[in-house]
Amino acid sequence: MNSQAERGSGERPRIDVPRTSAAGFVALAIVSWIYIVSGDSGLWELFTVETWKEAGDFLRRLVGLETDGTSAFLDAASWKKALRLSVETLAMSVLAAGIAGAAALLTFLPGARNVGFGQSGGARSRVGVAAFFVTRGAFAFTRSVPELVWALLIVFVLSPGVLAAALALAIHNYGILGKLSAEVVENLDPRPARALRAAGAGWGQTLLYALLPQVLPQFITYLLYRWEVIIRTTVVVGFVAAGGLGREFRLNMSFLHYDDVGLLLLCYLFLVVGVDLASAGLRRLAR
Amino acid sequence: MDSRRLLTILLAGALAWSLFSVDWDRDLVHPGGFGSLADILAALFSLDLSPSFLKVALSASWTTVAYATAGLTLACAIGLPLGIVASGSLGRGIPARLAGMAAVRLMLALLRSVHELVWAWLLIVAIGLSPMAAVLALAIPYAGILGRIYAEVLNDVPEAPLRALRASGASEVGVLLYGRLPMALPDMLSYTFYRFECAIRSAAIFSFVGVRGLGYELQISLDDLLFEQVWTLLFFLVALVVLVDLWSSSVRRSLTS
Repeated sequence: MNSQAERGSGERPRIDVPRTSAAGFVALAIVSWIYIVSGDSGLWELFTVETWKEAGDFLRRLVGLETDGTSAFLDAASWKKALRLSVETLAMSVLAAGIAGAAALLTFLPGARNVGFGQSGGARSRVGVAAFFVTRGAFAFTRSVPELVWALLIVFVLSPGVLAAALALAIHNYGILGKLSAEVVENLDPRPARALRAAGAGWGQTLLYALLPQVLPQFITYLLYRWEVIIRTTVVVGFVAAGGLGREFRLNMSFLHYDDVGLLLLCYLFLVVGVDLASAGLRRLAR
Repeated sequence: MDSRRLLTILLAGALAWSLFSVDWDRDLVHPGGFGSLADILAALFSLDLSPSFLKVALSASWTTVAYATAGLTLACAIGLPLGIVASGSLGRGIPARLAGMAAVRLMLALLRSVHELVWAWLLIVAIGLSPMAAVLALAIPYAGILGRIYAEVLNDVPEAPLRALRASGASEVGVLLYGRLPMALPDMLSYTFYRFECAIRSAAIFSFVGVRGLGYELQISLDDLLFEQVWTLLFFLVALVVLVDLWSSSVRRSLTS
């Protein structure tokens, strides 16, 4: 908006991107709602007494107020199992973050426009430009496909378990981390690298002493943020990749053991809050 | 100890611990797993591009976009009022309002802690399988995220114009309507558009609980081992996400420049 004023009055007004986009989004929203509500959407059922009665029943069973036998919340064996699965889920999330972080750290560099196009050290080469597009394409592809879909594909090759789940989570997050770190490199202060090169440093030395020290803190921060997202998603991937809380959640849902589901949800919430706190603490160390 | 060194040790330790949780002795790859991998990769070179299947993929893409858009608009509608309350911009100092603010913040945290697919599953059991359950399942966690971000953005606007409004006799609601909201709007819009990309991906996986869309077709093709169709659907999904990403990043650029 300010940029238009700065451009001066001599120029023809260009398309107002935010305004047209907002209008476009509103139009899209209207069409989408009409499309959904015009079918058998279940919208009107939301306003019936039966729906709310059933939802209330489900909620009561979820919190263990209505069970056949002992509620899972009062059963030591259920707690023990849930805690073991929580630890396994935590390990899955750490492993996923670790694999994604390591892979992104090894490959983000060619994905930065200024590196690939030779603006920061080295000449512009066809190889660099090609590597830029290949890397960015890989980031876009891995990032666009959700973790759950990766998991569905991976269980065709790997046995269901911790590794399969972690790998599915890692592939998606690799694309996100790679893109973010490549963008960090693009926005770097070019002066340290220039100074080093002027002093006769080679490409490897520039990388080690100018690029990485600037990129790493930001990279670690992103990685820790992603860990918070990963722990939330680990349960979902566990539905198909059969690891951690997700598998047990799915089983208990299909056996209609809703009090067990409630216990697992409680553990899930504690895990999410715990990881959020741990990530915030670790991020403070990275600064 | 140097805090960075401590961080390095902690992260390396965590990764090492997580590696022990994998049962490396067991068969990690299926018997015949490499065969399936070869099949999957081979199918990449024989995509199913028949007109009838492209039509299926196109209509599934539209369904996914419709769910994502509907869910996101509902999330905005829920997140905006919650965000306003959570930001405390309706006036502070009164204990009741402070308590309300804390309660709403806790609620926002609870909404966004649970993944949308878990919400979907719970909602389907609670209110029955219907498109509305999917829209709600998307809207609930996204409202939690949007509400929190809206609250932060509303808190971060410069104070001086607000003081001027107050000096001229505006009430807290007036300050909100004519000061905070207009100033925060570009950032709020920018973040909402960023979330649109994520919403597309989220909407695509609701298939797992039986809602139509790209993921639904994907699962059918996977069950029939039709990897040629799987790849075509994956490329549709990637194209959709990349398109929305391009749109949303152009909006964000024009809002922040």
